[in-house]
Amino acid sequence: MATIEEKVLEQGAGRRSLEQMFEERDRLTRESGHYYGITELSLRDADPLKFERFYSRLHTCVLAAREVARYVAASPGGREMGESLWALTTAEGDSLALSLGFFSHTAAFPVAVRYMATEKYDDNPGIDDADVFCTDDGLTGGAPHPGDTYCYVPIVVQGEIIAWAVGLNHIMEAGAPVAGSWPGFCVDTFMDGFVFPPMKTGTKLKQATWWDNLWKRRTRAGTMNILDDKMRLAGCAMVHKGVHEIVHEFGLPYFKRAVREVIEESRRMVMDNIKALMIPGTYTGVAFRVAKYGDMQKIWAQADRDNLIHIRQELSVDGKGRMAADLEGSSRWGQHAFNGYPGGADCSLYLAMTNTFSHNTKVTAGINLTVTSHYPKGCIYNPDNDFASFANIWAQSMAMNSVGFYSINRALFSRGYLEEAFATDGDWDGVQGAGELADGTPYGFTNFEYVGGVASGAFCYRDGEPVTWAEWTQLCNIGNAEEFEYLIPTMFYLGRKTLPGFCGHGKFRGGLGQTSVHWIVDPGRHLGMSRGGAGTAMTTFTATGMSGGYPAPNCFHVTARGTNLQELIDNGGHTPRDAMEVIEYAADGRLKVDKLEVWKYDPPELQMKHNDLWSNATGAAGGWGDPIERPASLALQDLNEGSMKPAFVAALYGVIATQNAAGEWELDAPATAARRAAIRLARKDAKPAAQWWQEERERVVRREFITPIADMYRGSASFPKFDREFRGFWQLPADFQI
Amino acid sequence: MATQAPTHAAPREFILALDAGGTMTDTILVKGDGSFTIGKSLTNREDEASSYSESVADAALQIGLDSRTVHTNTSVSIYAGTGMLNTILTGTGRKVGLLVTRGFEHITIVEGGLTYLGQTQAEILHQQLHEHTRPLVDPRNVLGVAERICGGSYFSGSHRAPGEELVPLNEDDVRRHTQTLIDRGCEVIGILFINSFIAPKHEHRAKAVAEEVVAKSDRRLPIVCSSDVAPVSRENNRVKSLLFQCFAAELTREALLAVEGAAREDGYNGRLLTLLSYGGAVNVEYQRLYETMVSGPIGGLMGAQIVANKLALRNVVTADMGGTSFDVGLLVDGRLGLRKDADFAGHRLALPMVALDSVGSGAGSAVWIDEYRRLHVGPDSAGAKVGSCFKYDKLTVTDVNVALGYVDPSYFLGGKIALDRDKALKALEETVAKPLGIDVYEAGRGILDVVNTQMRDLALAMMTSKGYDPREFTMICYGGAGPVHMWGFTDGIPFEDVITMPWAAGFSAFGAAGAEYMHRYHRGFVELVPNGMAHDDKQALADRLDAVFRGLEEDARNEMSAEGVDVRHLTFRYGVYARYIGQLESFDTVLDFGHLKRAEDVDRLVDAFEDMYTKVYPVGARFPQAGYSITEVYLQAVAPKPQPDMREYPLSNHEPAAAAFVGERDVYHAGRWVPFKVWQMGELTAGNVVNGPAIIRDPMTTVVVPPGKRIEIDRFLCLHYR
Repeated sequence: MATIEEKVLEQGAGRRSLEQMFEERDRLTRESGHYYGITELSLRDADPLKFERFYSRLHTCVLAAREVARYVAASPGGREMGESLWALTTAEGDSLALSLGFFSHTAAFPVAVRYMATEKYDDNPGIDDADVFCTDDGLTGGAPHPGDTYCYVPIVVQGEIIAWAVGLNHIMEAGAPVAGSWPGFCVDTFMDGFVFPPMKTGTKLKQATWWDNLWKRRTRAGTMNILDDKMRLAGCAMVHKGVHEIVHEFGLPYFKRAVREVIEESRRMVMDNIKALMIPGTYTGVAFRVAKYGDMQKIWAQADRDNLIHIRQELSVDGKGRMAADLEGSSRWGQHAFNGYPGGADCSLYLAMTNTFSHNTKVTAGINLTVTSHYPKGCIYNPDNDFASFANIWAQSMAMNSVGFYSINRALFSRGYLEEAFATDGDWDGVQGAGELADGTPYGFTNFEYVGGVASGAFCYRDGEPVTWAEWTQLCNIGNAEEFEYLIPTMFYLGRKTLPGFCGHGKFRGGLGQTSVHWIVDPGRHLGMSRGGAGTAMTTFTATGMSGGYPAPNCFHVTARGTNLQELIDNGGHTPRDAMEVIEYAADGRLKVDKLEVWKYDPPELQMKHNDLWSNATGAAGGWGDPIERPASLALQDLNEGSMKPAFVAALYGVIATQNAAGEWELDAPATAARRAAIRLARKDAKPAAQWWQEERERVVRREFITPIADMYRGSASFPKFDREFRGFWQLPADFQI
Repeated sequence: MATQAPTHAAPREFILALDAGGTMTDTILVKGDGSFTIGKSLTNREDEASSYSESVADAALQIGLDSRTVHTNTSVSIYAGTGMLNTILTGTGRKVGLLVTRGFEHITIVEGGLTYLGQTQAEILHQQLHEHTRPLVDPRNVLGVAERICGGSYFSGSHRAPGEELVPLNEDDVRRHTQTLIDRGCEVIGILFINSFIAPKHEHRAKAVAEEVVAKSDRRLPIVCSSDVAPVSRENNRVKSLLFQCFAAELTREALLAVEGAAREDGYNGRLLTLLSYGGAVNVEYQRLYETMVSGPIGGLMGAQIVANKLALRNVVTADMGGTSFDVGLLVDGRLGLRKDADFAGHRLALPMVALDSVGSGAGSAVWIDEYRRLHVGPDSAGAKVGSCFKYDKLTVTDVNVALGYVDPSYFLGGKIALDRDKALKALEETVAKPLGIDVYEAGRGILDVVNTQMRDLALAMMTSKGYDPREFTMICYGGAGPVHMWGFTDGIPFEDVITMPWAAGFSAFGAAGAEYMHRYHRGFVELVPNGMAHDDKQALADRLDAVFRGLEEDARNEMSAEGVDVRHLTFRYGVYARYIGQLESFDTVLDFGHLKRAEDVDRLVDAFEDMYTKVYPVGARFPQAGYSITEVYLQAVAPKPQPDMREYPLSNHEPAAAAFVGERDVYHAGRWVPFKVWQMGELTAGNVVNGPAIIRDPMTTVVVPPGKRIEIDRFLCLHYR
């Protein structure tokens, strides 16, 4: 008589095409409400310890793959900064086991595999064991942007695909007209760089020669990109070998059934976590992002405009632990670099979800099955034009993610999980470019340092800290200046530190953001530099702070072109160490600068010369609570450690301090009490909400919008849900047109 | 005190090796015939000299001597202590001031952002809770000095050269800040400048300037350069090494000198040696004493080196199962595997360390089931409370072994501690069997299955991830619980041989006794080996490399001579760290041929790199077309030192003596009750064969031999599991 285990193993046997697998997966999941129709965890229940042993084997494969393969990398991001991931997925691309790193990129896997299924890759070009497929496309491969490059190795047993080994990382240079890995100016996908749909690039765990040649010809960092490609494949080869051994040990029927139970089990755990942590209901949030393209160029008239991107997310939580994120009302896609496709958008959406609801589970596609997303066709996350650029969705999708994370934080705080809730932000930043040395040697680069980590926001009981987390990789690590100088020959650090006062203020303040000063030395024939980054605080709606705390300050860049830096050095003078000091040195004449520019939005690609300076400041985080409730002792500590300037402390915190003979700051208690009382009194002059609404409504009725805002509203209102909400809030007549 | 070095020591009968753990200080007393005995004392963290003396006295007592007699006749005493660990964990080190490259004043606060070190995957994912490790220096005492040196790039030849000065050292900054740090009461000053690993000239000049300032003050504080402590790339790791050295090393030296003083007062006439984290021993005068930070787990690997030499084993994988973890290490061609960055207590150091991989499955690890019926092992551990069968309130792996009959509850530590099997069974029933709805013994079998699989996967991954074939490796199992689980974590792996020994529980201390007297020297070195490199260019490169090696040899001679070593007997081992041009990670490339004298030696270096690389990575990961980059040169200098020798015994019959047979007991093994014969380890002799199902018991451990397996005892009393 067959055991329970044998009975369940009899189910689902037989060879199927990839497309048939998707059809079955979708149908069974839809009909049953459980992954692949798995309503009972039969294998787990029959022998839970064998089940755990099985999963331990799978997990070991991907963990070991990362620990070995990452050392092949050329990019610090791939090797140690977490900008890489190795995974094992089901035949349909649903995640089973993950290494450390880019967790949320699991959302891209089913997109790429589904594309291969729909396009019948089984037949042409054929999918055989140990083949190599690669993609970095947003539309067909689910990639957030072309810098994120994926390698898929099918694991085929008895003629049927049973799993994929996946490796991915963020490469150094993507081959777009604007050099770097996040091209900031793109009109359409033809300016995104080297973009390729899922394609067969190798067999028997070895890439074809033409594939290496493509990297060399279509990107500016061919050697580095080839090494990263080899890194991805080396890890996949380890996973591929390990899974074959596991199938041999446990048997194919067990493997096929158990992997579905693993996912279904984690789906249930994620739902339990949501029930335990969230309050059912609807959480709404908005964010904005500037894409300043007006008057930049004379070639593409359709892109000659400034854009304000509207990000709108409604997060619904039901009593069963399911969540749905509705992005309807977000901007329509545009002729700029900051669009994305659903897979890439999901990669952002799931950041907060994985951190909060998956960390104590087997991290699988369970989260993707529990939290669903809706991006209406035509919106910035689902363009109705297949040629929309997706060069840098991360520039705005961190704001989208942060909106969701704030929703979660509000719920956590409301439920009393005080140690969990904090002011979320993720204002990453990167400097990128390309050049040609004096002897004609070309090079392209991205300095990933501030993609590696940002400050943590304040909690309701303590301050945040500088460079503490990296929501998108988990492995907070900004790398080493010495290595970035090794990779980028013309940029030398004059400073790499935190920036005093650069945080969201509050009873507890956010961690200080960080700043670097790059000194350009002998750039040779040419050096063009630009910036990729989130800009989550370009408007205050994302990094709002919590419970009255101030939002994080926005990232900014300072460029000083045409300086007397060498003269300053030759005369034994000190050089500026951070972005504010560049401004201050220029202002007081210590540094002579022909052209000093402060960029509060993305600078276009700038030509840099010998002795120019490029400084960035980013990664600050929001505060919690009212700054005038901050314990004076903490404000004094900020002063004495140089984290805050006296003017900030007096103006924002109402703390008056004086310096003693030893230079230590001491509290002036009566003056502080008086100052705080005055601040409270001044607040009573604030405008009543009803009056504000009335005055603003008049402006809306008169259509007092600058062009980018009018464009934004028109785009968002083209989706019925936002149109209803907009008209309802402002009580507009039915014939009102923006 | 005389600075007599080990190489000067006259031959004496005994070797002492002590491993001071958090709870116990173990002594291995090696006698002239190679046999040894074990002594123990409770570790006294405040006065390590006293626990040292007590432990040695205990060992001496075992052979009917007093500690003075032993000390008087000891050729070398090696001590791995806990002082530095305590200093770091309790934050009770010296008050440090740092001079750093201007603009990097916050390096100790930011610490590269590494807030996840030492965490599990679940903890890493849960980023909300990440926090920085407490700095070892008051951030206000980190002051910037204007200077910049070029480190070179992988475009060397097309841009500024490595070592070129970009911004001169501002000596006024150095003077002013040194005075400030003196005024603030700093007890030691460290200097870290960017790219000093390539060119230390600014650091060294700053040190000289700072020393002038110190000399004019009424204070005497040392100035320490990062390029002298850890001359390797990555400033965030280098500054941690510098801080460890400044914060803790001198205090540790004082504690070690106190231990040495106690030994010498008791008749010892040599220098006390201590262990390096990358293997080897040094005396307490060693400059970079922070390198002894993580020395506890490496004793076992050095013990494996002794066994490997004696039994002529080429490749060894070590399996150390203690109370809280299972550690795996490799010995390939007799050499220890190293990793370049050691993580310790939330800090990442630029410190080579013996490569060990661990899982938190030890004999004392707690076993529990979560609300989703998932089994977890650890991280909580019972420590000396053993398990529910003794004084712990949770089920442990030892409980499972007791419940199933593998471990005799009446013979734990030779019967000194009585374990309660009923309590173990009850804990197994309530913790696992009932929640899962399965039979209690099946639950136990399943737990051991999971634990053994985790350990087996770790051992396999350690080898296969480096491209090694287990069939070319012998596994050496030790630690108190190693022989208990040996049958499980070796199951199905086709090792060449599996070995354990009667002294498995004291194997780490045994290994410490066999440590080489060794120093390691590194130097940053940026040079390319492009494809098609001309013969003359190769010759020039070989000359430059040779010059660096000779410089390191000179450093070794000078430093070790100052420690009292007779440098005429030094032997050197050479290596480089190399990579494909464009890669970020450099790989340890051993140069068996020593010096580079001819252009062809550059080709041999490249061949050595390719040979190493292709062992680890698939063919598709090779990229010789890119050319090669050498980033670091290193040298190991080894001085002769008295070594323990494993005693050889005459082989007797396969059949154990009747006195060795203890009895028989039922063990629940592989899903059924099986009668296991029980043998007494101390009564077995060389040449004996013990066929399974059997258990060999010893006061310190238990060897499990399942049905179909056997133990063969060789002439050195090593137990071969076959």
